[in-house]
Amino acid sequence: MMMLARDAENFYWVARYLERAENTARLIIKITDTLLDMPTDASVGWTTLLEIIGVGHLYNKYYETATENDIMHFLIADDRNPSSIFACIKYARENSRTLRELLPEELWERVNGLYLYIAKNIEDTSNKRRKKYIFLQEVIYQRQAIIGLIFGAMERNLPYHFMKMGRNLERADMTTRIMDVNYAISLPEDHPLYEVAKEMLWASILKSLSGYQTYRRLKHFHVNMPDVVDFLFNEEHFPRSILHCIGELENCLIDMPNNKNVLKTVRLAQKTLAKKDEQRMSEEKLHEHIDLSQQFIGDINNAITEQYFKIK
Amino acid sequence: MKISTTEYTANKAYDELISKNLLPRDIAKPLLDYFASMDEDELAARMQAVDSAILAMGITFTIYSDAGNIDRAWPFDIVPRIISSKEWDSVQEGLKQRLTAMNMFINDLYNDQNIVKDGVFPIEVLSGSKNFLKQCIGITPPFGAWAHICGTDLVRDDSGTMYVLEDNLRIPSGVSYMLENRQIMKRVFPELFKITNIKPIDNYSAMLYNTLAALSPRKNKSPVIVVLTPGIYNSAYFEHSYLAEQMSANLAEGSDLVVDDKDIVYIKTITGLVRVDVIYRRVDDEFIDPEVFNPESVLGVKGLMRAWRKGNVAIANAPGAGVADDKVVYTYVPQIIKYYLDEEPILQNVPSYLCMYEDQREYVLNNLDKLVVKPANESGGYGMMIGPRATKKEREEFAELIRNNPRNYMAQPTLNISTSPTLINGELVPRHLDLRPFVLQSKELQVTMGGLTRVAMRKGSLVVNSSQGGGSKDTWIVEGDH
Repeated sequence: MMMLARDAENFYWVARYLERAENTARLIIKITDTLLDMPTDASVGWTTLLEIIGVGHLYNKYYETATENDIMHFLIADDRNPSSIFACIKYARENSRTLRELLPEELWERVNGLYLYIAKNIEDTSNKRRKKYIFLQEVIYQRQAIIGLIFGAMERNLPYHFMKMGRNLERADMTTRIMDVNYAISLPEDHPLYEVAKEMLWASILKSLSGYQTYRRLKHFHVNMPDVVDFLFNEEHFPRSILHCIGELENCLIDMPNNKNVLKTVRLAQKTLAKKDEQRMSEEKLHEHIDLSQQFIGDINNAITEQYFKIK
Repeated sequence: MKISTTEYTANKAYDELISKNLLPRDIAKPLLDYFASMDEDELAARMQAVDSAILAMGITFTIYSDAGNIDRAWPFDIVPRIISSKEWDSVQEGLKQRLTAMNMFINDLYNDQNIVKDGVFPIEVLSGSKNFLKQCIGITPPFGAWAHICGTDLVRDDSGTMYVLEDNLRIPSGVSYMLENRQIMKRVFPELFKITNIKPIDNYSAMLYNTLAALSPRKNKSPVIVVLTPGIYNSAYFEHSYLAEQMSANLAEGSDLVVDDKDIVYIKTITGLVRVDVIYRRVDDEFIDPEVFNPESVLGVKGLMRAWRKGNVAIANAPGAGVADDKVVYTYVPQIIKYYLDEEPILQNVPSYLCMYEDQREYVLNNLDKLVVKPANESGGYGMMIGPRATKKEREEFAELIRNNPRNYMAQPTLNISTSPTLINGELVPRHLDLRPFVLQSKELQVTMGGLTRVAMRKGSLVVNSSQGGGSKDTWIVEGDH
């Protein structure tokens, strides 16, 4: 059976939305932990979360205050925010509905089940910390079950490849965004707790990407910016490193028809981002390098869209 | 679970499974004995299993309302409706006869119109038909078949006679629920399939595939078949997706298809355009081609009618088939059968009155409190009035509607349609139901084994449409006499 361009686009986005929902859930849990531990005079705030996810501007359009509860509501439950967990799962469900006939039967049931869980339990998740924690954990578990099903039950065919590409691009995107949290939290360099706070921050960045253990195994016990940055950009054995994600995407593309243009974009991104010199990068330069990565991620997304989704 | 003696003693209708003396009919005995043997806990567990199966399978039906579209789980009753194979054989023959004649009728209307010339079908009925499409004149689709998939609604009156209530020849839905209902029963009550010899229904997708494939204009090639859906907000989207999956066909929306200047239809795939042979469309005539019909339509495909008229693509059901799906045309079906086949109709129509004729109109207007009044072109139970249940004001409003547009209305006596035991609050109570078998026609002519049984879940209600709060049951054809 041939693959409809619209279906391919939906597969790609189902995977992106599911990945985004889980990433947001993980991010909220870990960053919450960290922010609570930061020195009180560090200029940190819940708005950091908005900046990482890139929805600060949208937030200001709808909200006048920026309390923890407001921000949590916006990130978890507000469907005016297309990146909120609720909106992501809603879109993932709607898109999977249009793909039902192409998905393993159980997969739709799981995605639908996750949506039903969220719809039923979302109340009070933004203002009750314990409920929020249980809720976000459950979203992560259920999404992991979905991943397991995709991995274990889906034919390695085009739908699988489109989902895998979406998942990996979204993952790379989140990794770059989370690294930038460093830039969003500023602390004077002569602050007595500077070193401790920075180490804590980079550790929490690793934790929110489930990469703390791997980092310690592959690098060393000590957490510092150059090593973490190198790890998150280049560590090919870590499934959330940027080059690993782009490599996964490249592997999918190799098996796909008409892949020339997209592969060209992907390889340019690999070549540019793989430069090893970010180990000595200043924070300012790191921020620029992250921006560049985001641009490449956008370019890859556009190349895939042009090649496979916009058929005239 | 027990039979409610209070409700059953008061029941005036014919009951499908329980006789007048409150005993199971022979054909229903194994089923009702089985249910009787089940204790409350066991039953509750099974009901729970049914609910979670429906929710998990995502069997939904969308209801349109002012408050936005609500996706509801499909209301399902666990007590199957049973029909004997002996009775079903004759119903099947009746349906085949009926649909053969109706397809000949549609083809005749769009070509020589002999039935009109011979004075059997009045020209004024034809000229008043909204669904007669002049763009279809002169076309004879493959096998002369226009209504390839038809859902004919059957009801039984209090004497036990089966009648045809209406023929749905446009885009009838419900078959996926028929299939899923059987799936649920198999999942939750597997024992039942041991104690009773229930005829299988799961070859429907193969039947549908063969019906569609036979229409393909490219004979020496495996046909490219697509199911054309209006999209996920359509009430029957679940079914469109289900059938596409079952047939391994592509599920397309209008924007996925394109017609080129050589009048060939293509589908947009990730590797470019691929030619389409057969479109099983679930979009109304009015919306299928903005070039010819509603120019505002975004559900259709520009140029589709050009491609179809040239024979470059098959469309099922054919555009214009709805001309025979008209409650006024319905009243002529017995004459239509006689005219084309020279046979007596095997299945009876419900006696009907046409408001377009003055004498019949007067009768209708004088007896509104006894009749059901239906508009000619609506489906889904919309726009009808059940006289005995209507208020005086509603009857007056309908009298006005009829006088203003008599061609658009017909009336029938209010049938006391049959009931079947339905589980409500732990008791078996009689609830009214109908039956929609599906008839497929292209190279071959086939009827489903049974059909979709729809049941009015509210006590005394005669309206079974899912859009009006109806539910459904599994339908069993089992060996034996009724």
